[in-house]
Amino acid sequence: MEVPLTALREGETGVITSIKVGSGCAGRFCRGIYKRLEDMGLTPGTKVTMLKSAPFHGPVEIYVRGYRLALGRGMAERIIVEVQR
Amino acid sequence: MIFNQLTGLHQHIGNWPGKTVERAEGTLHFKGYTIDIVDLPGIYSLSAFSLEELISREYIIFEKPDLVINVVDASALERNLFFTLQLMELEAPLIIALNQIDMAEKKGIKIDYKRLEEILGVPVIPTVAIRGKGVYELLNRAVEAIERGVPKPATIKYGEEVEERIKRLSEALKDLQLKYPTRWVAIKLLEGDEQIEREIYRLNPGTKDLVKEIAAEIESIHGHPCPTVITSERYEMAGRIAREVQRILPAIKAPLIERVHNITTHGVAGYIIMALVVLGIFHAIFSFGGFLSEMLSEFLYGYESLFESTLGVGPLKDIIWGGVIEGMIANITIALPYIIPFYLILYTLEDSGYLARIAFLMDVVMHKIGLHGKAFIPIMLGYGCNVPACLGCRIMETERERLLAGFITTLIPCAARTVIILGLVGTFLGIQWALALYVIDLVIVFILGRIAFKTLPGEPTALIMEMPDYRLPHMKTIIKQTWFRLEEFLKISFPLIIASGIIIKLTEIFGLLSVLSQALSPVTVGWLGLPEIVGITLIFGVLRKELTLVILATLLGTTDFRSVLTPVQMFVFALVVMLYVPCVATVAACIKEFGFRRSLIIVLIEIALAIFIGGITYRLMTIFSILEGW
Ligand SMILES: Nc1nc2c(ncn2[C@@H]2O[C@H](COP(=O)(O)OP(=O)(O)O)[C@@H](O)[C@H]2O)c(=O)[nH]1
Ligand SMILES: [Mg+2]
Repeated sequence: MEVPLTALREGETGVITSIKVGSGCAGRFCRGIYKRLEDMGLTPGTKVTMLKSAPFHGPVEIYVRGYRLALGRGMAERIIVEVQR
Repeated sequence: MIFNQLTGLHQHIGNWPGKTVERAEGTLHFKGYTIDIVDLPGIYSLSAFSLEELISREYIIFEKPDLVINVVDASALERNLFFTLQLMELEAPLIIALNQIDMAEKKGIKIDYKRLEEILGVPVIPTVAIRGKGVYELLNRAVEAIERGVPKPATIKYGEEVEERIKRLSEALKDLQLKYPTRWVAIKLLEGDEQIEREIYRLNPGTKDLVKEIAAEIESIHGHPCPTVITSERYEMAGRIAREVQRILPAIKAPLIERVHNITTHGVAGYIIMALVVLGIFHAIFSFGGFLSEMLSEFLYGYESLFESTLGVGPLKDIIWGGVIEGMIANITIALPYIIPFYLILYTLEDSGYLARIAFLMDVVMHKIGLHGKAFIPIMLGYGCNVPACLGCRIMETERERLLAGFITTLIPCAARTVIILGLVGTFLGIQWALALYVIDLVIVFILGRIAFKTLPGEPTALIMEMPDYRLPHMKTIIKQTWFRLEEFLKISFPLIIASGIIIKLTEIFGLLSVLSQALSPVTVGWLGLPEIVGITLIFGVLRKELTLVILATLLGTTDFRSVLTPVQMFVFALVVMLYVPCVATVAACIKEFGFRRSLIIVLIEIALAIFIGGITYRLMTIFSILEGW
C-alpha cells in the first residue's frame, strides 16, 4: 500500500517509492530541497522507520540509513512510501 | 573538534549539524614542517545547491590543498561514506579520520578500519577527538602520505548500466581541457549539477545532447530521473561498504540515551521539560549571578577609601577613580557574574545535543513566522551573543530564511543585555519583572517575525535536520569554550570601558556632557520619561550593551540604582536597551551576512521600535500606576 510517509505509525517501516515535488513549486529552490532530501539518503528504495510524529502538525522523526532525521511535516507528506507489514 | 586538537585554536564546537560556517585557518609545526590547516564547513554532500557545499567544493578544486582530512562520524558510517565517495570521485588527496569511535562503540558498532582502508584505497585512522586519541597518529600518517605522494583513491563503481554510461560520457569529455577530473565531470553532468553544466556547455555545446541522451537511457532503465539514480546508487555503494566493514553488536548504553531522547521530544512531556529547562536556567543564572555580584562589589568597593588616601581628592582622583576604576568595578560586578554561568549553561546545552531537540519541538511555532525549527538554534545562541547567532543563520537553506532569522536573532537579548535585565530590573524590582521583559521580547519577536514573513516574498520552507545523538557534555570542552568567550569579553570590554570612562569624565569636566544629553532629552526625557543623563549611556551602549549600565553607574557614581531611578524608569530603560540597535559587533556581522542596506534597515527599524515601545510602556505604566511605590 502506497501512502505518504506521515501516514506511518510510530515504529512502522516503509520503503520510499517516490518523492512528489509540489505542483506550485518548480524553481531552483524546490529542486534544491529535492536534492537535499536525496543527499540525506532519502532515495527510492530506501527503508525508513517512523520514530516520532510531533502533534499539532509538527515535524516527524525518522530512522534512515543508520541515523535519525527530523523532517518538517510538509516535506514528509511528499515522500511516498510502500508500507511494510 | 579535530581541527582544534590539531591547531590548538578554539573554533566553536557544538553538537548540532552545521555549526562551522566560517572557514577557519590555523598553523601547526610538526616534524620540521609548517602545516596550514583549514577547517571547512561540515556538509553532507558536494552538490552546488547550498552555499557551504559550494565553498568547500571550490576550495578543494581550486586551492588544491596538499591533503584533505575527511572527518567521518563512525556512528553513522553509511551517511558519512556517501560524502567520502564524493571526495574520492573528485580525486581529492584524501585521508580519513574515523572519528567518534567511542560513540560508535556505545551504539554497538565495531568497524574494521583496515578493511575500510583496503576498499577505499585511502588511509583510515581511528580517532576520538574529545580525548585527543589518534590525533597524533592522524598527523603522522598525513605527513607520511604527503611525503610519499598521496595514493590515488580506488574508483568505486556504480551499477553496470550506469557505470558503462559514465565511461561513455567520460570518453567524449576526454579531449576538452578540463580543470576537473573527467569522470567527476561526467558524473556531475548526469546529476544535473547546474554549475558544471554551465561551464561545460559553454566550452562544448555539443555535449549537451549526449548528456541528455544518456540521462534518458538511464531514466528509462531505472524508472527514476537520472540524478536520483546516481544519488541512489552512490548511497547503495556507501551502504554496501558500511555493511562490509562494520559489525553491529547489541548496544551497550543505548536504552538510557534512547529514553532521554524519547521523553525530551515527546509531544507533551517534551514541551514541559523545555519550559522547565528554560525557567531553571533563568533562575540559576539569576541567583548565582546575583550572589556573585554582591560578593564582588562588597569586596571591590572597599578599596575606595584606600584610593582617596593615596590620590587625595581632586580632579585626578575623579578621572582615575570615577572614570576608570569605577567603570572596571562596575564591569566586574555587574557583567561577569551573569556572563560566566550563562555561557557555561549554554555550552552544556549545545554540547549535549539538546538544542537540536528544541529545534524539533519548536518547528511548528517557527513555521508561523516563515522559518522552520532549525532557526531556533541561532535564536538560542543569540541569548549568548548575537554575533555567532547571526553567522549561525547560515544553517538556514535560503537567502530569505537567513535574512528573517538574522533579523530575529538581533532582537534576542544577548548575555550583555541579560546583564541589564537581571542586574537592574531583576535585582531591584524582582525576578518576575525581569521575566516579564523576556516574555515581552518574545511576543515582539513573534509579531515582527510574522510581519516580516508576510512582507518578504518567498517560498515555503521545510525542516530537514539530522538529529545528533545525545551525549554526556564534555566538561573540558565547555569550560574551555566559556573561558575563550570570557577572555574575548575582557579583552574588548576593559579597553572600551576605560576609554569611554575617560572620555566621559573629560566631557563632563568641559561641560559637554550636558549639551549632548540635552540634545537627546526630547526623546529620553520627554517621550521615555528617563533621566537626562541616560542619553549618554545609550550612545555608548552601541559599543557594547552592558556598557549602558556600567556607564550609568560611572556617571552616577553608584551601583545602587534605586537612589537614582524610579522603578518605572528602570523597567523602561531595560526595555529600551534590550531593543534599540544591536551592538556594533552584531551590526558588523549583519553587514557581512546581509549587506549594508538591509542591515541599515534592520537598525533603523529597531531604533524606532525601541523608542515607540519604550514610550508606550512608560505611559501605560504611569496611567495604571504599575510599579508605583515599589
Ligand atoms: N564522544 C565523542 N564526541 C565527539 C568526538 N569528536 C567530537 N565530538 C563531539 O561532537 C560534537 C561536534 O563537534 P564539532 O567539532 O563541532 O563538529 P564539526 O565542526 O561539525 O566537525 C561536539 O559536541 C563534540 O564534543 C569524539 O571523538 N567522541
Ligand atoms: Mg567544526
